Amino acid sequence: MQLKRVLLLVAIISLVASIGIPAASAATPYEAYTYDYYGDSSPLPAPYVPDTAITGASLGVGDFKEPSDMYVTPNNTTYILDSGNARIIVLDADMHVNHIIKTFTNNGKEDGFAAPQGLFVSDKNELYVADTDNGRVVVLSEKGDLIRIIANPKSDILPAGFKFVPLKVTVDSADRVFVIARGVFEGIMQFDDKNNFMGYVGTINVSPTVWDRLWKSLSTKAQKAQMQLFIPTEFSNVDIDSKGFVYATAVDITSSTPIKRLNPSGDDVLKRLGYWDVKGDIRFRMFGNNSGPSKFTDIKVLGGGMYVALDSNRARLFTYNDEGDLLYAFGGRGNQLGVFNTPVAVEKIGDKLAVLDSGKKNIVIFRPTKFGTLVGQATTEHYNGNDDVAVTIWSDVLRLNTNYEIAYLGIGKSLLMQKNNEKAMEYFKLGMSRKNFSVAYKRYRREVLKEQFGTFMTVVLALIIAFIAYRVARLVIRRRAVKHEAGLS
Amino acid sequence: MKQDFLKFPLHLIVRPFDGFWDMKYESKGKLKVALLIVLALILTTILQKQFAGFLVNMVDPRSLNSLDDLEFTILPFLLFCIANWSITTLMEGEGKFKEIVMAAGYALLPIVLINLPMTFISRFMTQEETAFYYLLNSISSIWFLVLLFVGIMTVHQYTPAKTVLTMVLTVVAMGFVVFIATLAFSLGSQLYWFIYDVYREIIFRT
Repeated sequence: MQLKRVLLLVAIISLVASIGIPAASAATPYEAYTYDYYGDSSPLPAPYVPDTAITGASLGVGDFKEPSDMYVTPNNTTYILDSGNARIIVLDADMHVNHIIKTFTNNGKEDGFAAPQGLFVSDKNELYVADTDNGRVVVLSEKGDLIRIIANPKSDILPAGFKFVPLKVTVDSADRVFVIARGVFEGIMQFDDKNNFMGYVGTINVSPTVWDRLWKSLSTKAQKAQMQLFIPTEFSNVDIDSKGFVYATAVDITSSTPIKRLNPSGDDVLKRLGYWDVKGDIRFRMFGNNSGPSKFTDIKVLGGGMYVALDSNRARLFTYNDEGDLLYAFGGRGNQLGVFNTPVAVEKIGDKLAVLDSGKKNIVIFRPTKFGTLVGQATTEHYNGNDDVAVTIWSDVLRLNTNYEIAYLGIGKSLLMQKNNEKAMEYFKLGMSRKNFSVAYKRYRREVLKEQFGTFMTVVLALIIAFIAYRVARLVIRRRAVKHEAGLS
Repeated sequence: MKQDFLKFPLHLIVRPFDGFWDMKYESKGKLKVALLIVLALILTTILQKQFAGFLVNMVDPRSLNSLDDLEFTILPFLLFCIANWSITTLMEGEGKFKEIVMAAGYALLPIVLINLPMTFISRFMTQEETAFYYLLNSISSIWFLVLLFVGIMTVHQYTPAKTVLTMVLTVVAMGFVVFIATLAFSLGSQLYWFIYDVYREIIFRT
């Protein structure tokens, strides 16, 4: 009776106590996940939580109108391309309006933008604006003075009457400009610092399926003329990393490689060593609401080999590491803070993420959680080769989420470096990496064999001797028996 | 005992023509031995899925179900025997149902004999060596098919061509059996739900 009362008291106290304590995890309107080895989505603690939303009104510059792009420089100056209002809003590091660029002086005359779609700020703090409806890329200084204009590219490989409609733009450290233009299927247009068109990079190859070919061979000329052309899809966005590799996204629903990393000669060198394709969601409905593969509208290189791609179909953010493992995916559609209507651009402000939502006309700032920070740190350390540092961070990550295969792999790889093969095997097994497990196991087996070789040989020799002794003894006994029967002894 | 359970089956799998002849006409085959081999096969399958080395074990541990392994071994086995018996009865086969079961049962022995040790050995393999695992498993399967072929041929006293024909027809017949069984199950469940609905209608009306 006494015990029962005590138990009841304890129960009541713990109930009351739990009311006072706020839930440890911050509530998010979405569920973060990654795909495990079996292709099931495995839930994660939220890597980022929504912090605030910034609107034109909150900045005191009037509502945004169809904002289409933004860019954040390494020193956290934010440039927002407010297309509908044909202006660029420049925010300082504290997210207050610094100045607004609406016009610039072109040959002594006032000039402005017409529905610009793309914006990039180079290392030299020069603004590159894809001035879409004016058919040009405008390069401005930080203050808004005109530096140069890229328009009307001339080249033999361009068709006569080619109309240049730039959509997105990025620039490398040598001032080479990469432009995605509407109606250009050959790839990303490349311009040098003298505004000359240099050619295309990253051409997407199309290969008709066997079925397509069969169908085509059976159809008549008139039918063929009616058929859809096999043209590659256009790129949707570009970004550039510190080494000068261009990250590009394409909206190609049949492709398993919508994200590309192009080296200077235009080849796709993105590492795809993860269990699944680097294509956002790998499991989705084929018909109905929320169906179809991910359609990426923006990509941002985060550093440490990581990049985040923005899916406009289900409004999610997919973060990958340099080897093509999905670190985490989160986001969704909805009305709360942290979910989107029409997300168009993703940027990184320090350790935070910012997503520009054209539908809601705002920018949502996401703050990393402990989990998100740790994963980012561990990935960066591993990328930089500091595996021993990475291990301690990965262990912390595992404390927050024991189902995180990437963490097991990270620890396993560093254990393998330290020649702790047996332990590495265990971690690779948990991370479901057969290839790495095999390497660790091979070393471990060799070690054990070396160690146990003496014992092994002793046992084998002992067995052989015992066997011979047994045969000899049997022989002797039999002979004796034979002799005995013969009455010789 | 030793003769029935060890010597004869081992003799049969290496000398199938001789072995199956003895099984049928010298009545050296025992039904319980054949069924024991099927049981051993089930055990092998379960052990393989559970204990094969990490490098070759592609089974999702969450999907492991020994009862499934049991029924997915026994049912196809029985299905084959029934279908083969139905076909061969019509095609002048000399084999009795018991002999078909025995022939199919004995033919499964190589799978047990090879896969069981391979399950153990696979735990000590690296990625490059797993090729041997797959090779030996394929050999055991091919061996099984050859034995089954010879077994059916001997039991029914067929020519090779006719055996191939009956084998193909057996597979077709297996398809039919599954189809009709599904149909019957579906009809049965509809009948059940109909009666259940009528019953519910009655108790809610009163």
